[in-house]
Amino acid sequence: MDFKKILVAVDASDNSVRAITYVAEMVGSSNGFRVELLHITRLPDKDLFPDEKSWDEQRLRQEQKARDFLKEARAILENKGMDPGAVSERGLCIMEHSIAKNILEIQEEGGFGTVVVGRRGMSKAEEFLFGSVSSKIVQYAKHCAVWVVA
Amino acid sequence: MSSEVRKLVERYLPDFPIIHCGKIYRDTSEFMNISYGDVIALNGLHYMVFRDEAERRFGMEDPKYWVKRCQVLETGERCILKLVFYESFPMKIGPFVIRCHRSAEKEGRILDLVKDDLRFMQGVPMKDEKGNLVRVLKLIRGKRLDVAVGAIPVDHRTYFHEFFPEILEKFIGSCEAIAFLHSHGEKHGDIRRDHLWVESGTGEYRWIDFDYAFDFFENPFGLDLFGLGNILLFLVGKGHHTSQKMRELRFGEDVFNALPPEDFSLMFHYRLVNLRKLYSYIPEELNRVLMHFSVGANVFYETVDELLEGLYPCLDLVSRP
Repeated sequence: MDFKKILVAVDASDNSVRAITYVAEMVGSSNGFRVELLHITRLPDKDLFPDEKSWDEQRLRQEQKARDFLKEARAILENKGMDPGAVSERGLCIMEHSIAKNILEIQEEGGFGTVVVGRRGMSKAEEFLFGSVSSKIVQYAKHCAVWVVA
Repeated sequence: MSSEVRKLVERYLPDFPIIHCGKIYRDTSEFMNISYGDVIALNGLHYMVFRDEAERRFGMEDPKYWVKRCQVLETGERCILKLVFYESFPMKIGPFVIRCHRSAEKEGRILDLVKDDLRFMQGVPMKDEKGNLVRVLKLIRGKRLDVAVGAIPVDHRTYFHEFFPEILEKFIGSCEAIAFLHSHGEKHGDIRRDHLWVESGTGEYRWIDFDYAFDFFENPFGLDLFGLGNILLFLVGKGHHTSQKMRELRFGEDVFNALPPEDFSLMFHYRLVNLRKLYSYIPEELNRVLMHFSVGANVFYETVDELLEGLYPCLDLVSRP
């Protein structure tokens, strides 16, 4: 695994901004690092909407938000000296349940040696009910380093 | 009064008071207008409406205007029609407020999935003239499981040794039923004590009401598991053990004060989970399953199969007096 090949999973939250800022500070002006910004949009469950049209409107809003955030994230990295050619972006839309599982599949397929995620800070009860992407990544990641930025 | 309804009533329900004959509805969108004496026409059959169903919560009757108690005029069969009522509302679970959505499509899908599986209520989704997905549900004659358990007139020790083994066995079947839904990507969505019924005659346990939908993406089955944990706790304890209940049961103040916060429910901090501290004959293995739902838990169940793995060995242990 190439630990200088970094996958930063983001979700347009403040925690993600902190994670990107941390990566920018750590590797921005160093040579040999490549960073892929990964935004996974989980499309909302259709059961939650009265009709297809309102679901589609929500989907478009989420996709636009993801695109905007990826631009912002790239700017944070470049402002800290990261070579624009060393930064790539990927936006994915999924219908399946687990974002953590998707992140780890991409990490494995892409040979990323480092995965970075933000962490909101959840209570036990929240983690039980809602689940935590960062906890699952820490639990199930193999052959890579995981940076959790809280 | 519609002459069509009057003719149907005269033919199929001659004892029904003509004065109360209402209108015929082929479009059920305006369900608030449909009431006693009206007839809903669906797929060639006519459903005489008797009343709106209601839920009794916190001592109050909460009418459900979109759920109609009916009789099929052509066959005489009693049934429930659930009409489409899309709503999105906040629901409180312990300290959290989550957004809940009512989905006719979800319930319709599950009804199709569990057709002839008597661990669940049975029914058929069908569209009215306007495309509203009406669910035609068979009545379950019986009692809520918690009411049935609460009414067993014995002390806890007797209950636990003489009644609980069979209850646990059946509850495990109910958990397997939920695992079946999950294996097909569906969630029950509203697992509560009053949504598990004991059918009269057969004594079988049956789940009802599948129309709640939530967006819990990283732990999609967490809410169902939380519900199963609550019911299990109720069944093991023959009721929930709060400080008030413990006083009623004559546990001394010293017993209650000696309980640390870790012994209580993760979501409801006033509800005791570590029941073995009160009832030493509860097997350690069963108590350990309960403790996965406590403040003291460090590992949580992520799937119903994990819960079942914990419960299966308990069957033999509770069967031994």
